[in-house]
Amino acid sequence: MSRMDTTDERVLELIEAYGASSMSWPEDEREAAEAHLAAHPARFEAALAAARALDSLFDADMAPEPGPLLAERILASAPRPASQRHSGLAARIGRVLTPNGRRWPAGAALASLGMGLFAGYTASASSLPPAYETEAENVVYGALGYDQFDTYLEEEMLDE
Amino acid sequence: MAQSALVNRHMPVVWRVAFRMLGDRQEAEDVTQETFLRAWKMLPDWEARAKFSTWACTVAINLCRDRMKKKAPVLMETLPEREAADLPPDQALHQKQAGTRIQALIDGLPERQKEAPTLCAFEGLGNKDAAAAMQVSVEALESLLSRARRTLRQALSEGQQE
Repeated sequence: MSRMDTTDERVLELIEAYGASSMSWPEDEREAAEAHLAAHPARFEAALAAARALDSLFDADMAPEPGPLLAERILASAPRPASQRHSGLAARIGRVLTPNGRRWPAGAALASLGMGLFAGYTASASSLPPAYETEAENVVYGALGYDQFDTYLEEEMLDE
Repeated sequence: MAQSALVNRHMPVVWRVAFRMLGDRQEAEDVTQETFLRAWKMLPDWEARAKFSTWACTVAINLCRDRMKKKAPVLMETLPEREAADLPPDQALHQKQAGTRIQALIDGLPERQKEAPTLCAFEGLGNKDAAAAMQVSVEALESLLSRARRTLRQALSEGQQE
């Protein structure tokens, strides 16, 4: 919803806070403020000139970039997809069998119990549909503001 | 692939916000990594109450604030000089000087005043998103922006008179 009326005072406040470019002003006030400015340009000349001087410095800023390895490090800390999780499950079972890292006596019954548990867990995991990646992707693309992965890809291609 | 898309899209902004607040590349990387670690934990329970970008900036800003609180206050008689070593050599000297200068001026602002133009003027966040990221009202954000710009204009004007 946009506000259709505004005042000199409000336009001056917008220039003071957001700068001379109306593209930086709040969307819901932009149209009214632009119309007011166009109708009475002389009233805002001084404020606009002062704001432009500062805006030109902001525009000159060359956005610094992070180091090239940061993305890799962050992705290395991301949850792994289903296909890479078997060793994690094995390790979890291992931790159950050897709490606190202590080595238990390697009795035959215990070893067979461990192997049975691991085999069962692995078999059940592999028989499930590979839903983890799909679910994770849905969550992530939802967070990105896209309902579907396809929509995201289409927009990415349009951006290129 | 999904995680990679998320990182590619949002990580540079998170890092720049942290870098502009902390003035240190390594600290900014630490904050960015911590932000995404929290994202990985939070994403499975994500509810579309906020944009990811706003959420990530909020987390990064809070982490920066914590770090700044732990640092001993530094009293500066003059505004700090930002290192220009990372600037590409083929850029025009004037732009280089202007870009360096605005960052140095921003560095001299109080914490909250620094956050407001960082999000709005540098990163282009809308007023509602920036206010949400800073956890203040839109009116408070506007007030911070106005005060920051007044302070910057005054510093510029004093610099030109010297």
